[in-house]
Amino acid sequence: MENAKHDALMRRPDGLAEKVVVPVADMFETSDEFVLRLDMPGATKEAIHLNIEPDRLSVHGTVMPHHQENANLLFNEISRKKYLREFNLGDGIDRETIKAQYDDGVLTILLPKTEAMKVRTIPIH
Amino acid sequence: MLMQFDFPRTFDDLLGDFLITDIHPLTRSVFPAIDVAEHENETVVLAELPGVKKEDVKITFENNVLTLRGERKPYKIPENARVLLNEMRVREFSRSIEFDHGVDAARISAEMTNGMLRIVLPKAESARVRTIEVK
Repeated sequence: MENAKHDALMRRPDGLAEKVVVPVADMFETSDEFVLRLDMPGATKEAIHLNIEPDRLSVHGTVMPHHQENANLLFNEISRKKYLREFNLGDGIDRETIKAQYDDGVLTILLPKTEAMKVRTIPIH
Repeated sequence: MLMQFDFPRTFDDLLGDFLITDIHPLTRSVFPAIDVAEHENETVVLAELPGVKKEDVKITFENNVLTLRGERKPYKIPENARVLLNEMRVREFSRSIEFDHGVDAARISAEMTNGMLRIVLPKAESARVRTIEVK
């Protein structure tokens, strides 16, 4: 949040300066994993980084400028931005097997549960 | 010029206002967000369409009006899943842009990369800038 404030302050009146945007996210949980999806349009696979810290997952993404520097913009609703969002990581997530994929501007992160956290159904004999 | 504020507000308040729209695209009512850039021989329209497949977008150009229509379809989640966070909005969208210059409609092209739709509309011969030499 502090970063975002700082960036908003640094914004030039022409709207072309870069901002930090918190990407919109969805998350669901199954018996084996957590699936996290983030809207990050305009980034590229190479410009997205996931940092896994002991208790935190942070997602960073850079969007390259869409227009030439001197382009004459008649409409400008798409800001120049960086994406940044952080999530707390509980003990039940197997940090070694986290996987991510980027398709159609959406980043999907698969966070597998540790064996101990997986839901098991115990049959009654 | 004399400026007067009827409702004195702190700087933080002012900042708060635009942070809401800047940070959370959720609160933005127009979808998709677009840019229109004018170049010498063409106009480029850019739209942010995360999670939208190219087959779910329809682009038409009629009477000098470009229209984007489509739908962000829901993705599949397993039956036993528990939803923990749901900020993404699945919805239909439609936006139109009217051009005040001639467009070479037969040569309009569009491509979709990383959730960004880019439409290139070449200007009609009559709309191009010409330099006339004085003899």
